[in-house]
Amino acid sequence: MTIKEAILAQMQLVAERQKKTLAPLTDDLKLLESGLDSLCLAILVAALDDTLDIDPFSAGTSKFPVTLGEFVQLYESHAG
Amino acid sequence: MRDERMRNVLVTGGSKGLGLGIAIKLASQGFRVMVLARRDTEALAAARVSATPGEVHFRPFDLADTDAIAGIVKSLHTEFGPFYGLVNNAGLGTGGLLSAMPNHEIERLIRLNVTAPMTVTKYVVRSMMAGGAKDGGRIVNISSVVAATGYSGLSVYSATKSSLVGFTKALGRELGPLGITVNSVAPGFIATDMTHGLTEPQRIAIDRRSALKRMAEVSDIAAAVGYLFSEDGRNITATVMTVDAGGTA
Repeated sequence: MTIKEAILAQMQLVAERQKKTLAPLTDDLKLLESGLDSLCLAILVAALDDTLDIDPFSAGTSKFPVTLGEFVQLYESHAG
Repeated sequence: MRDERMRNVLVTGGSKGLGLGIAIKLASQGFRVMVLARRDTEALAAARVSATPGEVHFRPFDLADTDAIAGIVKSLHTEFGPFYGLVNNAGLGTGGLLSAMPNHEIERLIRLNVTAPMTVTKYVVRSMMAGGAKDGGRIVNISSVVAATGYSGLSVYSATKSSLVGFTKALGRELGPLGITVNSVAPGFIATDMTHGLTEPQRIAIDRRSALKRMAEVSDIAAAVGYLFSEDGRNITATVMTVDAGGTA
């Protein structure tokens, strides 16, 4: 599974658990318009830390990405 | 073989005094309790053997090493699974008049009593989130009555304990949608190593001032934490439970 696939799968899982409706997951989708609120995004970051062992935000990234494409890129840039 | 149904709870500073009392109480309620403390004690070793129906485990750790907190919490998550609860109990009780207190003591108190519990909470909450927080969760921050009343010679300590109350109230709102409750328990003066420095006249004055004419005991505070962790405590969040035998009445 690629990092992008893992992120998309986790987004679906978080949305399902938190009873949110996800917008179509395109690269230019703004995260705040994805259907996930800030708490869901925090859950997503925690879940990705658990499954991918990647946490760009504890590694010093201070700015949260705006779009889904930027979010994926950030995780790809911190991978192994 | 690890019992997957047993809920994991982290208790900081649980090798003696109040923390140990809380660890034993939660184990008696069926939780798997992980104790982080600098040193093991005979009493904690005995609790590990006798804990039932829950379990007590120990990992040596210095909470002043805040950069290492992420690693220890993650390793416990990997070994035991997601956390259900956390009791931020570890703390320093250094006293002294502010004007005479060395600056590094002020820093040390804030690091251990404020930065450390907030950082531990961050990573335990992440573990709860990663586990789906299906059954919600419980966080208890051990504050103190001096957070509200003040006490001469404990200004920095009192400030650190007040900060945990603000932390509790805000985090209770933040995590409420996940069914995670966050509360503070504020003990009055109780007989532990931390209050060992009280003089006999101070002790008598504390007893005389309280509504019940005595001090609360470790078991009273542990029972309050146990209640907040029980199913009965599920609708109590973002508040402070004072256990002081009426000392602040």
